[in-house]
Order: sequence, then C-alpha cells, then structure tokens
Amino acid sequence: MMLKRFLPFVLLLFFISVPSAEARVYLDINAPTFVQIPIVLSKWKSVNKTPPTLTAKVYEILANDLTLSGFFKVMDYHHLLPSLQGKEGIPGTIFLQDWMPVGGEILLAGEASLEAESTTLKLTFHLFDLVEQKHLVGKEYESHLQNLRFMVHRMADEVVLQVTGEKGVHNTKIAYAGLQGGGKEIFFADFDGANIKQLTQNQSINLSPAWSPDGKKIAFTSYLKRNPDLYLVDTDGKNLHRFSSYPGLNVSPSWSPDGKQITLMMGMEGKSDIYLIDANGNNPKKLTKGHGNEASPRWSPDGQSVTFVSDRSGTPQIYIMARDGSNVRRLTYEGNYNTNPSWSPKGDRIAFCGRVGGRFNTFTIGVDGSGLRRLTSNSGDNESPCWSPDGRYIAFSSTRTGVSKIYVMNANGFNQRALTTSKGGESSPAWSPRFD
Amino acid sequence: MIRKSLSIMILVLCIGLMITGCPKKTVITEEPSAKKEDASRLEAERAREEKSREEKSKDDQAAKEFEKSLVAKKYPGIEGEVLESKLLKDIYFDFDNYDIRPQDVGIVKENTTLLMKYPNVKIQIEGHCDERGTVEYNLALGERRANSAKKYLLSLGISADRISTISYGKERPFDPGQNEEAWAKNRRAHFVILSK
Repeated sequence: MMLKRFLPFVLLLFFISVPSAEARVYLDINAPTFVQIPIVLSKWKSVNKTPPTLTAKVYEILANDLTLSGFFKVMDYHHLLPSLQGKEGIPGTIFLQDWMPVGGEILLAGEASLEAESTTLKLTFHLFDLVEQKHLVGKEYESHLQNLRFMVHRMADEVVLQVTGEKGVHNTKIAYAGLQGGGKEIFFADFDGANIKQLTQNQSINLSPAWSPDGKKIAFTSYLKRNPDLYLVDTDGKNLHRFSSYPGLNVSPSWSPDGKQITLMMGMEGKSDIYLIDANGNNPKKLTKGHGNEASPRWSPDGQSVTFVSDRSGTPQIYIMARDGSNVRRLTYEGNYNTNPSWSPKGDRIAFCGRVGGRFNTFTIGVDGSGLRRLTSNSGDNESPCWSPDGRYIAFSSTRTGVSKIYVMNANGFNQRALTTSKGGESSPAWSPRFD
Repeated sequence: MIRKSLSIMILVLCIGLMITGCPKKTVITEEPSAKKEDASRLEAERAREEKSREEKSKDDQAAKEFEKSLVAKKYPGIEGEVLESKLLKDIYFDFDNYDIRPQDVGIVKENTTLLMKYPNVKIQIEGHCDERGTVEYNLALGERRANSAKKYLLSLGISADRISTISYGKERPFDPGQNEEAWAKNRRAHFVILSK
C-alpha cells in the first residue's frame, strides 16, 4: 500500500534528480519491456520561401521515423487541442508550460527553410524536456533538396540518441530477395520502407543478399549460369560480376567484420559445408568436418567466431565455432528444427528461426546458451532474422498475412511492422551497416 | 601271258573301282546328315541375322523413340538449354531424407541402362525439396539429394565426368500446391541432359 503511493513520486524524483547533461538515458532499451516516451511534435514552421507542402513532408517523415523507432508515442499536432495546433516553430523556454497539459514528456519543434531560387534546404529542430521545462538540444542540417529524407532521418537518429543514449538507425537500409516474374531479384529499401531500389534484373533465381561491412557492395547468389554462384554488385547496381563459382553450392555469404573474408555454404565435396574464402573469391578453406549438412554461417561482431546450422546431431540446430573451424559447440537444444542464426552486433545474443508446432518462429538466445526468448507466435512462418547495426532491431520474413513479407521489430519482439507496402514475395532480409 | 596281264589289269581296275567306289559310298551315306547340319547352320545364321536385324531395328526404334522423347527446356534466367526425356525418370525422396528409396532403385537402374546405351550423353541431376523448411537448409538438402542419385549411378558404372549436380533447394517446385501430394512430388531428383 505504502509502495503504491510512493511509486509515482519515486519515478518523478528520478526524472528530476538526474543531472541534465547531454544524452540523458530515459529508456533502458535492453529491458524485456519498456514504456514508450510520449513525445509532442508541434507544427513545423515554413521559413522563407519553403512551400508548406515541403514542410509537411518533413514533418510526416520525422513523425513516422519516431513512431517506427518504437521508443516513442508520437503526439502529432493534428490531434492536439485547437489552441496548440497552430503553434508552430521553436518556442522560447518560458512558453513550454503551454505544452504541459498535453501529457507529453518531450517536445520536438522545428522549422524548414528554403530560399527563393535555391535547392538548399535547411532544417532546424529543438528538443525540450517538458517535465523539467528545459531545453535539451538543438541542431541544424543543410543539404540539397534531394537529400531531404536523409536529413530527416539524421534528425530522427539524433532524437533517439537524446532519449536512449544511442543513435538511431533511420538511415540504414534492408536488402531482401523479392519474387518478380518467375524469378527472384535482389532489392533494398530504407528503414522506413521508402526508396525501394532493384539491384538485379536478370529474371533468374537470386538469393541471400549480404552487405559488405563498408556498405558499398552486396554479395548474393544467382543461378544465372546454371549453378548457384556468388556475385558481387555495387549498391548503385554497377560492377556486377561473378566471384565464386565452385561446382555445387556457393550460397549464404557472410562478410567478416574487417571485410577481408567471406564465410559461405559450398558443396564441392557432394554435401553442403561451411567454407571460408577471400573477399575476392580465392583460397577456399573448409571449416566444418563430419557427415552433417552445414548451412547459414554468420560472423560474430568481433570476427572471432562463426555461428551456423548443422544437422550432425540428427536434426538442424544452431552451433558456434571459432573462425578456424575449431571449438565447435551446440547452442540450441529445444525443438527439432532451428536454422538461420544471426549474431547481434552487441555480441551477446543470437537470433534464429525455430519450428514449433509446424510453424517457424523467431527466437533470440544468449551466446552462452541461456535466456531463450521467443519473439513471434500465431503469425504464420517467421524466418531469417537479422539484426540492425545497433542490435536494437530485428528484420525477418513473415507470412502472417498469407504472403511472405519483410517485417521489422524491436529486439524484444515489440512493434512488429511490415517494412514495405508491397504485395508480398519478400524473403531473406539483410540489414546494411551504418552509412554515416 | 596275256591272260595274266589282263587279270592283273582287271584286278587293278577292280581295286580302283573299289577305291573310287568307297568314297562314293561314304558320300552317299553322309549326304543327308551334312545337309541337315548345313541347313540348321544356315537357319541358325539366318535366325541370328534376323535377330540382329530386329535388334538393330529395335535399337533404331528406341533411338528414334529416345530422340523423339527429347524435349528442349529453357529455364528463364538460367543460361543454356537442356533436354528432358520421359525415358529419364525422376526419383523421389522421403521427408527430410536423401537416401534412394528401395522403390526407386529400379528407376535408377533403368536410367543407367539408357545412359549406357548412349555413352555420349551427359546429364545434370537436380536436387529439389518441398516448400517446408527454410531456404538455405533446403539448398543443403537438395545438394545431398542430387549427389545421392549421382553416387548410385557411379556405383552402377556411369563415369563421373558424365554427371553434374545442382541443388535448387525449394526454389523450383514441380507442383506449387501446398499439400502432402504436392510436397511428395517436389522432393525429387530430376535428370536433364546437357546439350552438347
């Protein structure tokens, strides 16, 4: 009874007593659950010759980004009290109390500036702590109009940094294989699902895209020459060339963090094994031994280990081995079909796909084998999880709507949303590194 | 004196007759059986010729049938054209398995016989899976299925340089259905002839 009375008081104390230095942590994003921060987005001001439609677009992308991040409950100005709807631009601190009744904890205000005859867009935003009624941070971005989305994503990243202590991933991209015609092509989209780019147009079967650590190239498998060979292409579609064409499988590539080597599945000896090759396709080295079928290798973020699938125990399970193939140990012991491992960039957990009751679901497990967590259920088949570069999101494919689409969720399973508005046929997501 | 030489002459004549006469006798008595042997030898030869002509025409027919059965197949987005034949049959696998099933051994043997007949033919064995299971692990399973069939052919005497393998995993289902029947059809090793 006493505790109940004290609790709200204690929380308030926390927010007040923590010194207002930069990047105050409001949220523990590693917790299994967290409460979203209500953030008020007041109407942006159009300065100089900025068309209001342009400012509205900036606002829309920003509001969407903050919602997609999963950390915020965005309070859009359209839904505020009429007296607040019209308040645009950046308020002085003394006016912050106007925003108190709204129930938000943070206020984001901004303005867009485009000079006459100019293609240079300037975006300014300020963050305010409504509980403490103080200014948190203000930043300005300036770039060519065509970089509008990039700038807004930058702002969203900054807001996420302020609230969570870690920059957002709004400028990253997700590659995937998509059905087209009778084949599968490689695509990639922005984190918010916009700007879908098609990387291959060969009407063949193209699979398992993987970004290079510098984000400049994508490796993928294609059946173009009647063998599953490995190809490389720049992210602008140029310099497409084959670089690993050993007889049999050359599939499921994964780059070492230093970009010098690639681990992949190869079938040279009549069954699938995990191999290591140089980034140019030379010097294949077999890592796995024994009679099992080995699949889906993925590097650890420190470049010292590889996680992979093996059915050497009788059923496909997740394993870990050192980069030279030694020290093999089994990670999963529950269920009889566990595949598609992906190592969190934070180093501590591995996501994978496990079959339960005939359906595939996404799980994460500690690298030491503890803390198994199930992230999807009752939503069709959920496969091929992969992590965002900050380790706070997981992209995966799901057939929950009847067709296969790429979904994104927070690493604790919250806020699952479809990446694009496509009709389906998407699979095998691969998250880019940060570009900035 | 003349009578003596005459008797001798008659004697010689008689002996001569006897000598020349005997063989004739021998010939006479042997003629029917030799004729029989010749005839049966001839018959046998004729029969053999007939048979080899038949066989040759059967072979010709078979070759024509085989040639007729060859259908060119181009896979969109995949280089090259291959030939398929109803006479080169698929074999099927149990779920999650890549062993040659006992009921398919006969089919593999039939395929082998065909390949023995046409020593210039090179084939590719495709390994396929049903749509259940994840993409990459199924590529590994398909690789095993193709190689399992290849190993069996090698054990029956087909040389390795005539066989290549390829795994399509679950990417090229034969039957797009989502039921047991379709899945069973998709778990297969498919044989195609590589165009020379």
